[in-house]
Amino acid sequence: MDESKDVARDFIKLKSEKLSVDEVSELVISPSCGAVSLFIGTTRNNFEGKKVIHLEYEAYTSMAETEIKKICRDVRQKWPSVKHIAVHHRLGVVPVTEASVIIAVSSPHRAESLEAVMYCIDTLKASVPIWKKEIYEDEYSWKENKECFWANSGK
Amino acid sequence: RLCSGRRRYRQCAAEGCPPGDGGSMRCQQVSVLYFARSAELAGLRCETLSVPRQITSLQLWEEIVKVHPRLAVIQDQVVFAVRQEYVLLGDQLLVLQPGDEVAIIPPISGG
Repeated sequence: MDESKDVARDFIKLKSEKLSVDEVSELVISPSCGAVSLFIGTTRNNFEGKKVIHLEYEAYTSMAETEIKKICRDVRQKWPSVKHIAVHHRLGVVPVTEASVIIAVSSPHRAESLEAVMYCIDTLKASVPIWKKEIYEDEYSWKENKECFWANSGK
Repeated sequence: RLCSGRRRYRQCAAEGCPPGDGGSMRCQQVSVLYFARSAELAGLRCETLSVPRQITSLQLWEEIVKVHPRLAVIQDQVVFAVRQEYVLLGDQLLVLQPGDEVAIIPPISGG
């Protein structure tokens, strides 16, 4: 790998196709990093006793990308040794057990990338304009993250 | 984002909105975007509305509810995104430019 091209990068993608853990982790691999940390959010098959058929995601795409870029900027301020950050989020239908979000971060040592990944998913849930509809057998429900300060559940 | 939804050139919300240069009473065409539950309640995803150039966020919400009364049920749970910055419904004065995007943001659930 040409090391002069190993400049820190953010890889942000919202897409309807199936997400790939291999693809996302390979994006952040770097010769200067000894650690790649990863988070995968997957669709669960149940909620409060109801069977979940699948999830459907929609996004205010342009603003979602901007908010994820802000998260990456904040990560680099808090953990300056972080090298690359990748956030891939799926839109549209996500069947049970498939990934809806994959976050990967690389850093020279493991503490920073582990902490940064957690920060990314926690902050994404609080600030990125993406919505999830849970489809059950007979009905559906728009979910609300507890991290969202304007949701009723927080009041 | 180009709003390819319904175009609604309604009478400007402010009373006595003058046709010419009326300063802060002058109306602007803004794109209103609806997402998730708000899109279901409004029955559409985007439209163009004519609103005063200066308006509080709560007044803007009230104008939108006049057009789509079913949105009233989610008033306590939404915020706006004006030019992609979150704005609470309240006294905050918005200064809108023609073509600005205003999005209705129900509680988010990404990740």
